[in-house]
Amino acid sequence: MSEPAPPVAELTLRRRLPPRLPRRRGDVYVNMKTDFKAQLSRCQKLLGPGGGCTEICIHGLGLAINRAINIALQLQAGGAGALRLAANTSTVELADVLEAQSDEDGHPPLARARNNSAIHIRVCRVSPPP
Amino acid sequence: MENFRKVKTSEEDSPLPFPDLPPGVVEMKVKEGSKIRNLMGFAMARMELKGTRQIVFSGCGRAVTKTITCVEIMKRKLGGLHQVTKVRYKTLLEVWENKDPQPDGRVENLTVHKNVPSICILLSKDPLDPSEMGYQPPEPRDGLWAEKGGIEEDRLSSCSQGVKRPLAPPH
Repeated sequence: MSEPAPPVAELTLRRRLPPRLPRRRGDVYVNMKTDFKAQLSRCQKLLGPGGGCTEICIHGLGLAINRAINIALQLQAGGAGALRLAANTSTVELADVLEAQSDEDGHPPLARARNNSAIHIRVCRVSPPP
Repeated sequence: MENFRKVKTSEEDSPLPFPDLPPGVVEMKVKEGSKIRNLMGFAMARMELKGTRQIVFSGCGRAVTKTITCVEIMKRKLGGLHQVTKVRYKTLLEVWENKDPQPDGRVENLTVHKNVPSICILLSKDPLDPSEMGYQPPEPRDGLWAEKGGIEEDRLSSCSQGVKRPLAPPH
C-alpha cells in the first residue's frame, strides 16, 4: 500500500454565503439545518394574529426549495382557504473560494462562481383585512 | 416497516394547473434521474420551432430543483419568456409488500398515500395574464427585488456578513 501523493498545497474550500436579499420582518429564508416544524411555526406566527404581517415571502435555495414549497403548502392547507401562493423562480450566483492554508505565498485565492436555482413564494391573504 | 419492501410507486394523474393551454403543448416531466442535457436538448429543439409558443416543465419531490434549473437555463438562453409558476402537492401511491408471507401463504400488501411537493412551470413566448398568481415577466433580473423596496439599506447592512472579522482585542 503506497500513500497517495500529497497535494501540492493544502487548500480549503470555503463556500461563501449566498448574497443576501432583502431582510424584512416578512422575509423567511428556509434552510435545511433548522427543524422543519420550527420554520413552519415561525411562518404561522408571522401570519397569525399579532404577527404583524399581512404577507410573507418564503425563500428557498437549492435543496431547500423543496422545503420552502412544503412550508408554503402547509401554511395554505392550515389557512382554511384564506391564503394564496405566488411562486417565482430565480438563479442565484454563488462563489466558492479555494484558499491556501498557508497564506504566505501571496497567491490569490482560486475562485469559482456557480449558479443555483432558488424559489421565492409570496404567501398572502385572499382579501386584505380592512 | 422493516419487513416491507416497496414494490410499486405510481403517481396520481392530475391535470396541469393551467387553463386554456393549446392542445398538444409539450410537457417536460422532469424526474429525479433525468439528465439536464437530455431534457434541454429536446426542449430547446421544440422551443426553437416557430410554431411552439409554450412549454410546461413539471416535477415533484427531489426533481423540483432540477425542474427549476431547466426553466432558468431556458429563460437565459431564449430570453423574453413569460412565466407562471404553480406549486401544489402531488399524491404518490406506494404499494409495500410484506417480505414474510402470512401463515396461510397470502402476501400482505400495504398501500401508502404520500403527498410530495410538486412544481409546474409554464413558459410562454406570448404574454400571459400578469394578475395570475405566480406570474413572472421576462428578465426581471433585479426587478424581482426592486418592486419590494428597501433593498439598498438591507444590502449595505448585510454585506459584511459572511466575511470573518478578527475579534476585537480585549481592553
